[in-house]
Amino acid sequence: MSDNGTLLSVENLSTHFFTQQGVVRAVQDVSFSVKSGRTFALVGESGCGKSVTALSLMRLVPYPPGKIVSGKITFEGRNLLGLSERRMRAIRGNRIAMIFQEPMTSLNPVFTVGNQIVEAIRLHQHKSRSRAWDLAEQMLHEVRIPDPAHRISEYPHQMSGGMRQRVMIAMAVSCKPALLICDEPTTALDVTIQAQILDLLAELQKQNQMSILLITHDLGIVAERADDVAVMYASKIAELADCRSLFLQPLHPYTQGLLKSVPQLGFTGKRLNTISGIVPEPLHFPSGCKFHPRCPIGCNDKRCQTIEPELRRVKDGRAVACWYAPGYERSDDIKV
Amino acid sequence: MKAPKGVSLWRDGMRRLFHRRLAVVCLGIIVIYFLLVAFIYVVELFNWRIGPTLWAEPTGPSYQPPGSENIFGTDIFGLSVLRKTLYGAKISITVALFASIISIAIGVPLGAIAGYFRGIVDDVIVWLYSTLSSIPYILLILAFAVVLRDKTIAGQKLTGITSVYLAIGLTGWVGICRLIRGEVIKHKEHEYVLAAKSYGCTNKRIIFRHLLPNVFHIVIIVFSLRFVSFIHAEIILSFLGLGEADRPSWGAMINDARIELARGVWWQMVAATVAVFFISLALNIFGDALRDSLDPKLKVQ
Amino acid sequence: MNTDTADKNGCLLKVEDLKTYFPIRKGLLRRSVGYIKAVDGVSFKIENAATFGLVGESGCGKTTLARSILRLIPATSGRITFDGADLLAADPSQLRRFRSEISMIFQDPFGSLNPRMTIGDIVGEPLKVHRRISTAELTERVCQILSKVGLSPDSVNRYPHEFSGGQRQRIGIARALILQPKLIICDEPVSALDVSIQSQILNLLKDLQQEFSLTYLFIAHNLAVVQFSCDNVAVMYMGRIVEQAPVAELYNNTLHPYTAALMAAIPKIQTSKQTRKHTPTGEVPSLLNPPLGCPFNPRCTFAAGPCFTDIPPLKPVLGKPEHLLACWHR
Repeated sequence: MSDNGTLLSVENLSTHFFTQQGVVRAVQDVSFSVKSGRTFALVGESGCGKSVTALSLMRLVPYPPGKIVSGKITFEGRNLLGLSERRMRAIRGNRIAMIFQEPMTSLNPVFTVGNQIVEAIRLHQHKSRSRAWDLAEQMLHEVRIPDPAHRISEYPHQMSGGMRQRVMIAMAVSCKPALLICDEPTTALDVTIQAQILDLLAELQKQNQMSILLITHDLGIVAERADDVAVMYASKIAELADCRSLFLQPLHPYTQGLLKSVPQLGFTGKRLNTISGIVPEPLHFPSGCKFHPRCPIGCNDKRCQTIEPELRRVKDGRAVACWYAPGYERSDDIKV
Repeated sequence: MKAPKGVSLWRDGMRRLFHRRLAVVCLGIIVIYFLLVAFIYVVELFNWRIGPTLWAEPTGPSYQPPGSENIFGTDIFGLSVLRKTLYGAKISITVALFASIISIAIGVPLGAIAGYFRGIVDDVIVWLYSTLSSIPYILLILAFAVVLRDKTIAGQKLTGITSVYLAIGLTGWVGICRLIRGEVIKHKEHEYVLAAKSYGCTNKRIIFRHLLPNVFHIVIIVFSLRFVSFIHAEIILSFLGLGEADRPSWGAMINDARIELARGVWWQMVAATVAVFFISLALNIFGDALRDSLDPKLKVQ
Repeated sequence: MNTDTADKNGCLLKVEDLKTYFPIRKGLLRRSVGYIKAVDGVSFKIENAATFGLVGESGCGKTTLARSILRLIPATSGRITFDGADLLAADPSQLRRFRSEISMIFQDPFGSLNPRMTIGDIVGEPLKVHRRISTAELTERVCQILSKVGLSPDSVNRYPHEFSGGQRQRIGIARALILQPKLIICDEPVSALDVSIQSQILNLLKDLQQEFSLTYLFIAHNLAVVQFSCDNVAVMYMGRIVEQAPVAELYNNTLHPYTAALMAAIPKIQTSKQTRKHTPTGEVPSLLNPPLGCPFNPRCTFAAGPCFTDIPPLKPVLGKPEHLLACWHR
């Protein structure tokens, strides 16, 4: 994998859930790419489809009622959606690994921490039990768990939230994956532990030349840790850019509204800026641009209310889905 | 009030329940049984003078096999097996119904109190039902039935039937008490209970207004599943001869079959067994379907 | 609504040396072998119509403190004076009255509302519990309060699961307001909400405070939220207050190493890639086995000498009587 070559490329991914109440279009026409060695953040609020996107990448979407209905996921040159389940299993945990938000429920409470790491190792690597245990202890050391020789025989409930998350990270990187998907890895943790975990991830990334797909709702984390960002809203990507440009000059009204409304240290105003209205429900998405009811421009605009803007490349590797974003109308380049 | 009505969790659960065809079919079977029993009560009411003899008139020769005259055949006295089966349904379902009501009336409050107050109250109640449930069920029911048999309550002599359902009800509350206790302990920790305390709700109000409605779906589910075991309990008691001696019941029919089978008379046994089988199956499947539909956590969100 | 107070100093709530300990019981006879000191000697005052912030991470005791004030958890010792009256010594009927004057907003918008009650019932129940009120009057009050928090009065017959997280939090706020309380304890009111909704709710809380002259005890772990919402802030760590000051002073002149660490750890949008300073190492020690001396010493870069043996008392900083600090080093 050459430096900054594309490791993962997602094209027009759509995942729907077929429920009794109707079809929930959780992810619609999502396209982005992750370069090797870089951190890509997928940011959005609850229900925007970011977690479902991650699960779709790993093909872990529960089959009834969910289904990937279209799209192409190219990872290390292969289309993941065309692989058999056996081949996919060989990739999961091995080339692509995932860590989740709640370490308590993601770790099995009846097995020791060491057992679980060893299981992850032995699933993908041909190692004897004793060598796997040695490697597990080494992994615990790499994730900065103090006294790994003793901790390896502890159970998840004996550890704090931060420790458990480190164990999850150890399990995930034990096979040195090329891509690590982190689904809200620090949301359940205290702020001081959060910083430690994010530092650890950055270190491991550098050490193993790993790409990270970071899913979060915290714009601060994105600003500090990500290289590239995609902002998701109501199952679609609203804006795609490298991190610096996004925060310096957000193009989509949703991104602009978000950035203005997040409470920040040093804010001295009497009232916070807000985005009016609420996030739409997947069964009742608005027509046209999904953001239009809450958009200062779109709520009065006929075109925004009826025709949905697709994601188009605008300049310097940026893409946006908004009729009124600068450069949008001129461009006819559908971002891949 | 022009405010639109919302969709409560109940309505949502019911809606999901009725989408399952199998559950609806089973409900239909259960309803048929209940209607039959109601019908028999009505008939008895109108024929109160000749009442119980509905089944007591011989309709054919002794041990006539099933045929055109008697669809299920006849027993040793020439009594129609069909009528005996129907009457047996009345007994079994009535007993199970009353027993269920008694066990819910005892088990739910005790479970709620134990789960809510914990401490020594909980210890006492848990001790009580642990002891009861350690004694083999059959022996316990037998003991109650025998003891209650010839007693009188409020001047009324206890008939066999009454002693049966009292016995079953007084021993059957354990399961539901345990369940309710567990659920109350779980739900007590929810923030809405804390919120209720914080604005001054009394304990009584919290239990009745907040906790019980949230665990009540368990009662419904358990009701339908326990109903089956109460029917079976009644059959066992009748089989063993405790119960109404002079009225037909499924248990007595099966008891008779012990001798009859040696003589090649199979129709009484089959009739009673098939009758029990269908109601049990229907109740079990329906109970499962209820649990799947009413469990708020299984909502597809 | 509540502009007068019984106390001469204009102080609505005064907490003095509050301690809430949980006994650890072991063995067959359940003997108490030690204590978890969830709240270990906390004192502060809240002025009328002010917002007092309590900041800290998990395990610091802020939620236990809030619940001890409402006597949802029994306090072990200390004194709480509300509107001139002693809360901890109150008998059941006095306690009931206090519970109509202090209300609470909870963190979890999904768990804090009874899923089987309509929101009209949920919001109206406090009124039903405390006053004899006709159904018509109750409905009117409920509709009034719902409009005040930004919900349509048409929603009275609907159920919590039909609303979004932000809307449910508004329902919780309506429920807290309906008895016209003097003090509202906000226990992490926006932590579980989406980012774009948080600002709506924070604005709402401020507006309501102005309109009804409410006093807030605002508990949070997000320093940015606290900075916006509060007048005075206290930082808690392992059951004690380690620093307390008016909000501008705390943020411009942070003195305690833990407060500084908290500030540094917050991911910030403004400066994009920043090298981290003062990230504290290690984890919050278990309350079962607190370190000797200052509870922060295992993680503190300045720890030395007395930090390992004696707990520093909370004292005013030289020259700034409003700024309290519990640290041997400043």
